[in-house]
Parts: sequence; structure tokens; C-alpha cells
Amino acid sequence: MSATQTLQDIGRLALSWLAVCAAAFVLLRLMPGDPVEVFLAHVNIQSGPDIAAEYRAQWGLDRSIGAQFLRWLLGFVTLDWGVSFETGRSVAAEFSARLPYSMAIGFGGMALAVCLGFMLGFYAAHRHGGWADRGSRLLAVAGQTLPAFAVGLVLLWVLGVQLRWINAFGGGALERILLPTLLVAFFSIGSIARLTRAGFMEVKTSPYYRTALAKGRSEIAALWHHGFAAGGLTLIAGLAPELAWIVGGTATAEIVFGVPGLSERVVQAVNQRDYAVLQPYIALVAIWIMLVLNGGRMLRKFWDPRLV
Amino acid sequence: MTLFRLKPLLAATAICAALVTPVATYAEDLVIGQTFLASGLDPAEGSNGWAVVSHGIAEQLFQVSRDGEVVPNLAASAVQNADSSWLVELAADRFFSDGTPVTAAAVAEALNRTGAANPSARATAGRMVFSAVDEDTLRVDTEQPTSILPSILAEWAFPVYRLEGEEIIFTGPFAVEAFEPGGSIEMVPNAHYAGAADRPNVTLRRIGDGQSLALAFASGEVDMAFHLPVETLPMLAGIEGEAKSFPVAYQYMMWMNTRAGALADVRVRRAIDLVVNRADLVTAVQAGVPATGAFARSYPFAATEDLPHDPEEAGALLDAAGWQLGEDGMRRRDGVALELVLYAFPQRPDLLTFQPVLRGALAEIGISVRTQVTENPNDVATRGAFDLLLWAQHTAPAGDPGQFLSLFFETGAARNYTGWSNADYDALIAELRAESDPQARIALARDAQEMIAAQAPVSFLVTPEWHVGLSPALAGYEPWGSDYYVIRPDLRVAE
Repeated sequence: MSATQTLQDIGRLALSWLAVCAAAFVLLRLMPGDPVEVFLAHVNIQSGPDIAAEYRAQWGLDRSIGAQFLRWLLGFVTLDWGVSFETGRSVAAEFSARLPYSMAIGFGGMALAVCLGFMLGFYAAHRHGGWADRGSRLLAVAGQTLPAFAVGLVLLWVLGVQLRWINAFGGGALERILLPTLLVAFFSIGSIARLTRAGFMEVKTSPYYRTALAKGRSEIAALWHHGFAAGGLTLIAGLAPELAWIVGGTATAEIVFGVPGLSERVVQAVNQRDYAVLQPYIALVAIWIMLVLNGGRMLRKFWDPRLV
Repeated sequence: MTLFRLKPLLAATAICAALVTPVATYAEDLVIGQTFLASGLDPAEGSNGWAVVSHGIAEQLFQVSRDGEVVPNLAASAVQNADSSWLVELAADRFFSDGTPVTAAAVAEALNRTGAANPSARATAGRMVFSAVDEDTLRVDTEQPTSILPSILAEWAFPVYRLEGEEIIFTGPFAVEAFEPGGSIEMVPNAHYAGAADRPNVTLRRIGDGQSLALAFASGEVDMAFHLPVETLPMLAGIEGEAKSFPVAYQYMMWMNTRAGALADVRVRRAIDLVVNRADLVTAVQAGVPATGAFARSYPFAATEDLPHDPEEAGALLDAAGWQLGEDGMRRRDGVALELVLYAFPQRPDLLTFQPVLRGALAEIGISVRTQVTENPNDVATRGAFDLLLWAQHTAPAGDPGQFLSLFFETGAARNYTGWSNADYDALIAELRAESDPQARIALARDAQEMIAAQAPVSFLVTPEWHVGLSPALAGYEPWGSDYYVIRPDLRVAE
């Protein structure tokens, strides 16, 4: 890839990011609900329009939308992300305190799902109609149909209340993120297993797999040896979009288990119409999605140069 | 072979068991779970002032008592000067948690800082300037004259604190040991607060979802769960501890748009108010008591008489207003049916529950109601784009009736959503505004509520109840004061 093309790609990505940020900026302001009125109602301030106007000025909402956007953009790129309407705290400080929880839950859950899902997918391909095949199908359907909130509450009820195996709220850091991580993993294992299975199944119809069997290799060894790359490639292709939404996708787990993560904070910010928190969050998620999707594409090309 | 396979499994189980801490048992240290937590400790920012007082970390010069009266706390008294300024005498022997005495100079510095930074501190009397007259006396000059300074100083925006570099030091019964925004606060008894030896260490933990909070209480992880959704109470019936319900001052009400249409006629509004069966509403939401007026019954200025329920009288009023009952059970006047739109908002689920009950009640007297849900009730209210609008409002957060009765009902007031205008009422509120005698204010507030009831720009519906789970360690602790005073000096471990 030439330097010019690289620069063009970066420029295209930057423009896309800018467009997403601008669109989000406008859409947030089109959401019903004035942040000042929501705040005053929330904190039970009985006041006239003068106090509302003071808050509007303090939060920069008295300027034109174009001026607000330019001010935000300049602040974002210079790492001055402003302060939350609701809490008055620095948005950057809030994000840095909460992001580790969300990342631990999101990446931990996804890593667990990849490990278990890959193996399950492999065994599902190995024995068509066997326990792994049926189990992975069941998990995939469950992941699509069961409400995450309800599953989280059931986990709490069984492990925390009935069996008392775990202090979901009061334990150490590991204990506090264990159930949320399991919840995130549960909802991804099935789909990852089915993706992986599809990759391995494709190999089972290939001549080189049949040749390996003819040479006397066991089915399981031949499938693992010759199907690993295909299974991995299929998984990467399917995993990239899921990873893209990992920042923010852990909200349910954080809310149910009371983890002070970033995703849970964003849900609060939506309820409060806290643009100061929502806008940098959207900007960060846009950057993350671009990184993941492009990273996934590059990885697949690296693994199999025939892919364009 | 089987044993060989079991070994890794047993090892993994042992590792998992070692990684998790032992399950909580009730101890002298308490864990309190709440659906909200201070997002910071600086009262000059956001709504932190409210949270730090609610958590038992900070105190104000005055506070609202369990009986709904404004009583001195860090202050001993307040008197108004002839020039409308005030002198506040501080209570003796009060200390910050680092042992520094509470002085007028320290209080003035803190409250001036808050007043400059936080618009909420300027909501009632404009900008207030605090200055120390001597060690124990504070002078307060208000931008707008007020006869109720103690009540204003009981608003959540005015906790007393002291800045020590970056650290903020308060006077409450508990001092902050560690703080994780959005997660938890570790608190220890303030050693310089009377009775410190009897108080436990407290961990205050935020569990944002009510269902999860109930499960945390059921599992014994929290000693107090504040506050629980009503539907979780049956689940908690069999566990150790108890769930206590207490009335809160967030009154449920229904605005009636008086600007035009059928509701411009007071007889129609009165008819609607009369047909509302408040007991049915309480049954529908499984908690609360029928409202008697604008304020919860615990306030001294609350109306004392039950609001009437009289469908026959309601029908007669509609007849008199020219709305005749047709054979199809609908009221019509000049061929036009009496149809109204009733809004509610999902942020208060109880209000959604009220909608079908009210629709049924109004149908009894021939009024057709279409129910709608809005995510943005403030916008609907401000634009006056409703016939009937269900609402929830803390009507006396600082223990005084004046603000609500003025701001929501005076002619042209900022939050007079119904467009109601009554010269007699305006004159009464002007009198209330000028009156400083507490007993006279109570009488005026009750008169104002009677006028409102007679004209019915609003129908006061229910004083709701909240539910708090208390473990045996907190047996006997009485929740009160809505969410303004959750943790108080009398929080002790039960014997």
C-alpha cells in the first residue's frame, strides 16, 4: 500500500468520523427533552426562567448550534471534554474512572465467549447433530431471544440469593465483574460457535480434508489442522462488528450488577439529556468502530492474502 | 480415569472459591444500597449538595424535621433586621470532621463560594451574600427580600463545608473515608460529632436498578435497601429483616388546562376533581395515601380534610354547564362530545398506572378520555399542549409552602402550566410572601389550598409511599424525609 493511499484512507476515515460526530450532535439536540428542564426537575429546583437561563449559559447551550459544535470539536481534539451537566465533574475524568470496568467486562466477556464458542463450534462441526451442535444452536437462539436483563437477574437470584456463592455487589473487583462478564459471554457464545462451525464445516467438504483422512489422520485431528484457519477467518469476520459495539454494549450487565462502568453512565446521560457526556462518548465509539472494522479487515488480509 | 478428569475440575472450583470473598453476614459495619449516589463531593457542583446531606456527610444551617418543620441545625436561630438582611446565630460546639470548629467565617466562605458557582443556590432569593459579624454570627444579605431565610437555607444547595486544599470537609455524622464516583462511598463516624462511638462504619453502595437492589437485600449483601420497587415486596416477605413503607412528599397530581375548551369552565374542572376516587388510585399502585391537597399530610401546612368523591355531584355540575348525557353514555354540548386527552410520562410509572383508572372514572360521568404518554412532560406542560396532565412534584422540599403555591399557581408564574388566573389567589400569595410568622403562614397556605380546590386547576391525587428494606442490624431505624435525609445521626446498629 502506497503512502498516498494510506493518507487517503486516513483522510476518508477522518471525514467519516467528523460526519458521524456532526450528525450525532444535531440528533442529540433533536431528542425530546431540554437538558436544563430535565435537570431542574430531577433536582427539584422550583425556579423561574432566570435560573434556567443561567444553567443554559453555564452549559454553553445559549449559543448557536454551529458555535456549540465548533467549541465541542476544538475541545475534543485538545482533550478538553468539558464537564457533565448532571454531575459538574470533568467528563474525561469520569470516562477514565469508568472505562476500565466496561473494558474488563466487555473484553473479558468476549474473550471467554471466543474461547468457549470457538471450541464449541469446532466440536459442533466435528459431530454434526451431536451435543455440541445442538447445544450451540440452543445457545445461539437463547442469545437472540432471552432478555439480557432477565438473565442477569436470574443469575443474581440463583448465585447470590439462593446459593450465596458470590457477593455480586460487595465483593472484590474480580468478584464484582465476574457475573457481568459471564452475562456478556453468555449472549455471544452461541453466535460465535455457529460462526466458527460454519468455517470448519466448509473445510469438511474440501479435497485436502478428504486427502488428510485418506492418509490416515483422525477426523478430529484433520479438522483441527486444516480447518483452524478457515474457522478463525470466519470468526474474525463475524467478530469485528460485535467487538465494535463492545464499548457501550455492556450497559445491561453494568446496570443489573451495579458496576460503575462507562456504559451505565451513558444510559444515565441519555435519561438526563447530558450532551456533555453523550457527545464525546459517541465520538470515541466512532473511532473505536473504525479501528475495529479496519483492524479486522487487515488481520484477515494478513492471515489470507488472497482476500481483497 | 474418572478421577483423572475430575481433578482439573476440582482444582478450577477451588481456585474460583478462593477468588471470591466469603458471603456477607450482618456485622457492626453496615452496607447501605441506594439507587443513587453522590457524583462528587463539592456542593458547588451539580446536585452534590443534595446528595452529601442525604448521605449523612454534610449538614445545613437549618433542616426540615420529620414533622415537616424548618428547624435549626448548625444554626441556633435567625432573625431579620429592619433593612431586610438577616443575622444567623450559629449553634455552639459544632465541628467539622477534622475537629475544626464551625465558625461564621468558615460558613460564609463556603456558602459564598457555592452561591457564586451554583445557580441552584440562587433559585429562591437570588444571590445571597454571607459575611461573618463575629465568630458565631453570620449576616446574610439577599438579592430579593425574603421572610423565610431559614427555609431557604434548608434547601439542598446550602450544605456547610470547609476547603482544605483540594479536600472538602463537612460536619455531618459520617466522614468520607474513600469515594468511588458512581460506585460507593466508604464512611466512618465523624469523631467530632456527638455520639460518634455509637455509630458504625458505613459503606454506601450504588445499585441503580431497583430489582437488583431487592436481590442484594434478599442475599444479605446490604443492610438497608433504599428504595425498593413495590413489586419486589412480596419476594422479600420471607427473608430476614423487614420492608418499611413511608410517605414521601413527591405529590401526584393532575393539571387541568384552563385556557380554553371545556376545561375553561370551573364546573367541568370541579366535576372531574369530584369523580376521581383517590382510594382506587392508591389501590392501583399498591402504595400511598389519598392526597388532601398540595402537600403530604406530614407537613403542618397540609390540608387536613379528605378531598370529596361524589360522582352524582359531578354529573350535576356537568348538567349545569350544559354538557348533557346522551343515550350512548357520552356528554355533549351543541353536538360536540366532551373528549379530553390525558398525558402521563414513563419516568414515573405510577402515573401510567393512573391513566386507565382515571379514564374509567371519567367515563362514568360521560367524559371520553384518550390517554397519551410523553417522554417530555416539561415541554408539554410549558407549551400548555394538554387537557389533563399527570404530574409528580416535591411540593415543599425546604419545608415551606410558599414556593410551590406561588410558582405553579400565581397568574403568569413561570410554572403555571394550567394558565389559571385568580386575583384573590394572587393577593393571598402576596400576603403569604410577606408573612414571616410560621402559624400565619400555615393558615394562609391552607386558605390557598382551599381556593385551589374550589377552582380546580389541578386535582391533587395521591401522596406516594416508598419502600425501604432494613436488615435486623437496622431494626427500628425509621426512614423519613423522602430522599433528603436517608442517613441520619440516629443510624445505629440494633442491639
